Amino acid sequence: MSHITEIRYLTEFQNLNNINDAIASFEREHPDVRVIVEQATDHYEALQAFNSDEAPDIIESGGWSLFNRPGMFVNLLPYVNEVPGLREDLNPGIMRIACKDGTLPGLPVDVSVPLILYDKEKFDRAGLPYPTEGWTWDDMMALGEKLTIRNERGVASQFGLGIGVDIEFFEPFIMRNGGRLIAPDGTARGSVDQPAAIEAFRKVTEAYRVHQIIRKPEEPSEAGELHEGFAMIFSFTWFTGGCLDHGLGDRFGVVGLPNMPGGQLANMIYMGAAGITSKSRNPRLAWEFLNHYNLRRPDAFRSARTLPITRSLAEQSGMAEHPIWSRYIQELDHVQISGFYINEKWNASRQLINEEINRMILEGADVAQTLRSWTRFA
Amino acid sequence: MGVYETNGAAAIPSESRETAEDRRSRVLAERARQGDTEAFGELIEQHRHRVKGWAERMTGDPHMADDIVQDALIRAFLHIGTLHDSSRFLSWLHRIVQNQAYMRLRRGGPYRKEKPFAAFRPSETDGAHIEWNDLDDVLFHLTRSASKAAADDEHDPAEHLMRKELYETIHALLHCLSNKERGIFEAYFFRQLSPDEIASMYRTTTGTVYTYIHRSRRKLRSEQIRASLGLQPEKGGSTLVKSKRLELPAWPPHASASITLIDRIGLMLAALGDEHETAELMGLSGFAFRMQISDRTTFADGIYMFDWRKTVQQLLGRLGYETTLLCGQLSDSPVPLLGAVERFPVVLPIEEAVIPFIRKYIDQGATVLYFDTTVSRPYVHEWSLIYGYDDEEQAVRLTDVMKPGGKTLAYEDIASNPVRFLAAIDGRRNMDGASGPASPAIPRKPGAAAVRRRRIDAEQAIRFAIDYSKNRWAYCPMTTYLSYTTGLAAYERWIEHLRGGPDKPPNRYGLGQLAAVYANTRTYAAHYLRTVPFEGEAMRLALLASEAYEQAGEALAELSAAVPFVRAASVMTAEQCEACATLLEQARTFEAAAIEYLEKTIHYAEKEQLL
Repeated sequence: MSHITEIRYLTEFQNLNNINDAIASFEREHPDVRVIVEQATDHYEALQAFNSDEAPDIIESGGWSLFNRPGMFVNLLPYVNEVPGLREDLNPGIMRIACKDGTLPGLPVDVSVPLILYDKEKFDRAGLPYPTEGWTWDDMMALGEKLTIRNERGVASQFGLGIGVDIEFFEPFIMRNGGRLIAPDGTARGSVDQPAAIEAFRKVTEAYRVHQIIRKPEEPSEAGELHEGFAMIFSFTWFTGGCLDHGLGDRFGVVGLPNMPGGQLANMIYMGAAGITSKSRNPRLAWEFLNHYNLRRPDAFRSARTLPITRSLAEQSGMAEHPIWSRYIQELDHVQISGFYINEKWNASRQLINEEINRMILEGADVAQTLRSWTRFA
Repeated sequence: MGVYETNGAAAIPSESRETAEDRRSRVLAERARQGDTEAFGELIEQHRHRVKGWAERMTGDPHMADDIVQDALIRAFLHIGTLHDSSRFLSWLHRIVQNQAYMRLRRGGPYRKEKPFAAFRPSETDGAHIEWNDLDDVLFHLTRSASKAAADDEHDPAEHLMRKELYETIHALLHCLSNKERGIFEAYFFRQLSPDEIASMYRTTTGTVYTYIHRSRRKLRSEQIRASLGLQPEKGGSTLVKSKRLELPAWPPHASASITLIDRIGLMLAALGDEHETAELMGLSGFAFRMQISDRTTFADGIYMFDWRKTVQQLLGRLGYETTLLCGQLSDSPVPLLGAVERFPVVLPIEEAVIPFIRKYIDQGATVLYFDTTVSRPYVHEWSLIYGYDDEEQAVRLTDVMKPGGKTLAYEDIASNPVRFLAAIDGRRNMDGASGPASPAIPRKPGAAAVRRRRIDAEQAIRFAIDYSKNRWAYCPMTTYLSYTTGLAAYERWIEHLRGGPDKPPNRYGLGQLAAVYANTRTYAAHYLRTVPFEGEAMRLALLASEAYEQAGEALAELSAAVPFVRAASVMTAEQCEACATLLEQARTFEAAAIEYLEKTIHYAEKEQLL
């Protein structure tokens, strides 16, 4: 009987169907290998596992902060370069964010970008044309006002736009206005306090306070869930995939984020990664598994909620041709690195910042002054 | 609102005359008073312009006003711990500005605006070589001089002299700095920028800034200057290196609770001579009745998801104590329990910001509640009690749930804990709201008032249990991807995780902890309900509720025996999962019955009150 080699795979995700499928097919191809899956509640437990005497070979994390830690993961680019054509096949937009200082600490997973899903039925009912590429922020506000339906008490049964209060969701509008929250060198001073960021943020707060097309925090509502009473939805692939899974694909159309006065084509991107730890005793075998898991299984994206990281996976899975998914994949060309990838203090301050956004929305706190004060978070 | 928290976004009491800005200032001042330097930085940002305006009006000289602002902010930073009423921050700051302005207008003189380094050369020579163009060296020297002067003077309290000289030194020293040097100092200590950020801002090398800060920190530590850099003055403390260890009372296994927050608070109070039954604390705090399950899988993080600051302060406040908290999160390391920690300010991993807090309370004879992220396995993190420190060893003594004899943690480990959460008791609240010394506790007098109090407490506890059981989302983190199900619905979520199949299997490790913890809490719910001071039908129904909780606890204990709390990554079989789900269904049925009994208990209790 041949010796069995174990690859220990630590994941922060709870749905294991994809990894289980990958393990089953990988172990069929490699009968002398066993892939053992373990779970970690969060980045902290994953880091603890890495620091222990029994570090896993691979860590799959739902965020990027572990992959910013020097020395924790091996550089995957040498492995990537060994596979003919793979370097060119990897989506350049994703790789622009994932590679830092010429290294690739993990293969991106759980990749998602936001676009605007619009409910065609609601537009038809209001006799409004669907939004098209190149539309502007002002177009979105005007449509949103027409699509927000309130009763005599002012309670909305339908909102023009659905978007959560989160600095990370508003960052794309700043990018599209030619601004940034955090400069590439990690500083906020000279970025978040500049006119492009302030102007974009002022527009965001006006969408709540002036146009009143977005549900304010804690605002009474009769609009139901996001897929029910919202005409336009700032929608990441997870939500869009959920709608498609529930057979709502025909009801929705998709369009890019509206243009801002700054005129930049830009968007944010969320992703985690699966990386080979520097403590792995079998990094090559671990790479073989990662390659199999992430790069050779187009079926995993046939009913997906996230985006594939190579062009060939997008094509083989049918996503590149899909009326909605193809638009998401196209958006990857324009993704930029968000502040939370660059500066951990900014990332850790996310909810303190969100509290201040709530104050701007609910209390009318001065936008310029508030954004200038955010330099303290980075 | 009472001690209970049924909604994470609980309303702040509205005060009609308080503006949003006032409220924000008050909250920031309160945080700053408790040692949160980030909050102080925000206060500076918020009020710098106003302070400058005051100073300009007082002096009529914009340049002098700049110096006064600098003076005033330094003094405010050093003394914020003495601010008793955080809603009076602005008037307090105004007084400081006024005093600084008067002093400066009176003083005048050649060094009115800027004093050269050479002017600080001490008249006496101590033989040490000092680099007068090196701020670090100067600071080190002057601090050492202050210590020496304090030690030499037997008649003047050492601490007083030390602090006086130290303040003067730092104060004066800042006036010797160039704008850039002053900016670096302020950026690091006030705004908590990283050396990279400071270097970038001042167009110098990171190495220079880093070396400067690192060496300063080391030397500051060695000279006990840390208490003055952003922390509250230590009353009665000595400036000498020292150690102290408090004796902890016996804490038998039957007193311990698996909710370590409550367990350690019980021990903390017992150490002050104020003993409470653990069941009472579990009931009063509501933890006997809570259940919270992650919506992701059977991860155990739901156990810890609640508003830590509010819960600790409200529980101890309810028991008659004033508390002080120190909390924060580090940004350079992943934090556990993000949903609970998400709104903690980002702090730096510097010992100067934590150890004086511990030293102060241990010196006063009070232990310090501490959230330990280095707890022994199978735990990941739990609350512990710090009961000693040793400056020479640079370490604290603290409890560990798995080590009956306690353990030692280096100061450095305390400072680098990614979650900073410490709480200490300042003293007992008097009827007029003022606080007194922490120990010894005032014995609770039995009598009509005490009985009435206990009855009110019990009614509130039961109302909490009922409300909580029906509130599906009692705690909602702002972090959107984290969600938890609470109350009776938590059982359903838990069962759903167990029946998720191989593609979404339950997390075995978390499952073990959930079972152990909630079996224990239901046992305490049963204990607590047996002690409530009701009569007649209300008491009979409370006892029936107690029995139902007992049975829920037994079903959960059976679950716990089937999946013991150990560090395990094993995958459970479908049969095991189903057996666990069946036990949970039993527990849920009993708990639902308990809630029905509690609803009737309250009904009869109210009726009895009316008679």
